[in-house]
Amino acid sequence: MEKDGLELEITELRLGLPGRDVADKMMKKRAFTEMIMTSSASNSDQCESGVVSSGGDVEKVNESPAAKSQVVGWPPVCSYRRKNSCKETSTTKVGLGYVKVSMDGVPYLRKMDLGSSQGYDDLAFALDTLFGLRGIGVALKDGDNCEYVTIYEDKDGDWMLAGDVPWGMFIESCKRLRIMKRSDATGFGLQPRGVDE
Amino acid sequence: MGWAFYNVPCSDTNTSLHPFSLAKGLVTSGRNTCTPYHSSTVKIPFVAILRTNLHQEMNYFPDEVIEHIFDSIASHRDRNSISLVSKSWHKIERCCRRRVFIGNCYAISPERLIGRFPCLKSLTLKGKPHFADFNLVPHEWGGFVHPWIDALARARVGLEELRLKRMVVSDESLELLSRSFANFKSLVLVSCEGFTTDGLASIAANCRHLRELDLQENEIDDHRGQWLNCFPDSCTTLTSLNFACLKGETNLSALERLVARSPSLKSLKVNRAVPLDALTRLMSCAPQLVDLGVGSYENEPDTESFAKLLAAIKKCTSLRSLSGFSEVAPLCLTAFYPICQNLTYLNLSYAAEIHGNHLVKFIQFCKRLQRLWILDSIGDKGLEVVASACKELQELRVFPSDLHDEEDNNAAVTEVGLVAISAGCRKLHSILYFCKQMTNAALITVAKNCPNFIRFRLCILEPNKPDHVTSQSLDEGFGAVVQACKGLRRLSVSGLLTDKVFLYIGMYAEQLEMLSIAFAGDTDKGMLYVLNGCKKLRKLEIRDSPFGNAALLADVDKYETMRSLWMSSCDVTLGGCKRLARDAPWLNVEIINENEDNGMERNEEDEREKVDRLYLYRTVVGTRNDAPSCVTIL
Repeated sequence: MEKDGLELEITELRLGLPGRDVADKMMKKRAFTEMIMTSSASNSDQCESGVVSSGGDVEKVNESPAAKSQVVGWPPVCSYRRKNSCKETSTTKVGLGYVKVSMDGVPYLRKMDLGSSQGYDDLAFALDTLFGLRGIGVALKDGDNCEYVTIYEDKDGDWMLAGDVPWGMFIESCKRLRIMKRSDATGFGLQPRGVDE
Repeated sequence: MGWAFYNVPCSDTNTSLHPFSLAKGLVTSGRNTCTPYHSSTVKIPFVAILRTNLHQEMNYFPDEVIEHIFDSIASHRDRNSISLVSKSWHKIERCCRRRVFIGNCYAISPERLIGRFPCLKSLTLKGKPHFADFNLVPHEWGGFVHPWIDALARARVGLEELRLKRMVVSDESLELLSRSFANFKSLVLVSCEGFTTDGLASIAANCRHLRELDLQENEIDDHRGQWLNCFPDSCTTLTSLNFACLKGETNLSALERLVARSPSLKSLKVNRAVPLDALTRLMSCAPQLVDLGVGSYENEPDTESFAKLLAAIKKCTSLRSLSGFSEVAPLCLTAFYPICQNLTYLNLSYAAEIHGNHLVKFIQFCKRLQRLWILDSIGDKGLEVVASACKELQELRVFPSDLHDEEDNNAAVTEVGLVAISAGCRKLHSILYFCKQMTNAALITVAKNCPNFIRFRLCILEPNKPDHVTSQSLDEGFGAVVQACKGLRRLSVSGLLTDKVFLYIGMYAEQLEMLSIAFAGDTDKGMLYVLNGCKKLRKLEIRDSPFGNAALLADVDKYETMRSLWMSSCDVTLGGCKRLARDAPWLNVEIINENEDNGMERNEEDEREKVDRLYLYRTVVGTRNDAPSCVTIL
C-alpha cells in the first residue's frame, strides 16, 4: 500500500506503545491497562499478544471495577444519551435482582428486589405488600382460581407464566414482572401478526 | 445576442463554485429562463461567450437579476466562493444573503456578521467543541447566545430562523428573541443548555408566526409549568414541534388542542410523559404527520387501548419517520406494524428495555428504511436481518446499550454485524458503530463492499484493542477504508493504531474534513501525516495520544485553513502552546485547566508542563472576553 522509500521504519512491528515519556505516560496508561486486564478475563488472547501491555512492564493489576470508569468521556457517547438510554448498573447487576413490576390498572411501576425473596411464597407476599392488595400472591399459588395472573419476561424476551420453573432458575432469568388480569391474558403471548391484520 | 446556459456544478459536497468552473461549463442552447434546478445545478442565462470573465459579462445585467441568480445557489460554500469573484459580486452577494452558517461562534462577532449581511433571515451557530458532548469541556466554558440575539435585535435584523448547537441559552435570551423579531418562524436547539420551560413559554406566547420549535437532546430545566398553554389560540401555523427531551409532566389537553388547531403539523415528537391514550388521540387528529416521536409506554396496553392505537396508526399513511420509545413494551411496538413499510427513518436507540428479538421482528418489515438508529442489543444476528431486509439503507448508527460492560454481553455487536451490513446494504454512506471488537479483514471487506462512505465512525469500546484474531494493529483496516472511500469526509478511528494509519489517512483521505482520534499513534509523525496530507481538513480532535509540540508547531499556517483543533491528554506543553500563540496571532489558543483555581497561576508554571486540554481556532475578532477562570487564552 505504501509508496516506495517512504518511512519504511514505521512498518516495523512494535510491541507496546513506544515514543512516550515513561514516567508520565505510565500513570495514564495504567488506567487503561487495568481496564484491559480486568476485562480480559474473557479475552485472554490480548494478554498473550503483549501488544497492549505497557511496554512489557506489567504492573500489579488493580482488580477493582472502579478502574474501568477512570477514563473520562469514554466511550464517546454524549451525556444526554448516557442519562437517557443506557442501562443503569443498579438494575442490571447480577445478584441485586431488582426488577420492574407492573400491574394492570396501576399507573406507576414498582421495583422490587427478587434477591430478597426466598421462594415463590415469599414473592407472593412481597407482591401483595407492594401493591397493597391481597390476592396477587394467590395467583402464584392457586393458578386458575384468581382474577390475576403473574407473568414474567425472561432473558430471551419471552413472556412466561410465573411459578412453573424452579425458583433458582426463575430469579436468574426473570427480567421483569407483570400482573395481568386473567381476562386479558388469553391471547397474550401469541406472536404478533404481520402487517395485514 | 443569443442566450446560452452554463451547467454550473453547485453541489455542496465536493466542488465549490470556483469562478473558473463557472466559465468552463458546457454551453447548451435553449431556453432563456433562469430556473434553479435541483440543489446540484443551476442554469444561468447567459450571453454566448467562450471562456473566462463570466462575471464581467454578467455585470451587464441589473443587480436584481444577478441577485435572482444567486438566490438559487443554496450551499454556503458556493455562496462564499461567489463572493470572492469580484468586488461587485461580493457586494451583491452580501446584500442578498439570507442564510448564514457560523461553525464557531467565536470566529466572528455578531456586529461584523450583521455589518456584512444586513438582510440575514436565518442564522446557524455552533458553540462548544464537539468533545463537550463527552464531558471534556467545563460547563462554564462559553458559547453564550445572548450577545448574538442582543446584537441582532438592536440592529433590527429581520430574523426568522435560529439554529443553535452546543450553546448556552438562557430564559432571558429566549424572551428577548421572542420579542424582537416579528416574523420569527423557526427555533432549533440541539445539545444546548441553560434554559427552562419558562423560556419556552415566552417563545410560545410571543412568536405569532412560529412554525418550528425543535428541541433535540437539550438539558432543560422543566418547571412543569404551562408552557404549552402559552401558545395562543390564534397560533395555527405550527409545522414542527419536538419536545422529546423535556423530562416533566406535560399538559395533555393543551397539547391536544394545539395539535388539533395545527393542520400543517408534519412533525411531532412528544416526551416521556405522554401516555398511550393521549398519543392515540394526538395521532387521530393529526393523521397527516410525517415524522412522529412517541413517549414512554412501559406497560402493555389492554386490548381496547391497543385496538384504538392501531386504528389511529393505520390512518397515518404519510408517516415516514418514527422515534422516541424511551421505554416501550414490545406489544406497543407491534401496533406500528401497519406503517412499517413506509418508514424511511427509524430511531429506536433510546429503547434500552426492548429485547433484540422484538427489534428485529419490527425492522424486518421496514423495507424502505434509509436511516436506522439502534442499540447494540440488536446483535450481529439482528444486523444480518437488517442487511437482508433494508436494501435502501444509507445511514446506520449502532449505539452501546451497556456502558459498564457488566453483563456478559452476548448481544453486543462485532465485526460480523458490520460486514453483514456492508454486504447487504450497498447504498450505505454513513455509519456510526460501537462494537466490542474488530478485525482488519472485516474492515477491508467493508471498504470493498461500500466504497461510498462519506462518514465512517467506528468506536471499539475498549481503547487500544487490536485485531482480535491476529492481534495486530488496525492500521491496515482503516487504511483500506480511506483508500477505497474516495469521498470520505468524516472519520473516527479506534482500537490499536500506530503512526501508520495516519500515514494512510494523509495519503488517501483527500476529502476528509473531520477526524477524531483517541488513544492512537506512536510519535509526532502520526499527527504530521494528517496535517500535511489532508488538504481539506477542517476539524481535528485528538485525545490521549502521544502527539507533542513538534507536530503542533510544524505548520502553523495550516490552522488558518481549519476551523479548530482539539488536543487533550496529549504531549503538548505550555511552552509549545505559548509559542504557537505568538506565531499565529489570528488564532485563539485556549488552555483548559483541570483545576479551576489554578487558572491564573499556571502562567508562571514550568513551560514544560503538559497541557491538559488545548482548543485552538481561527478567529477574526481576537480573544474573547467571556472565558471563565479555568480557561487561559494565550
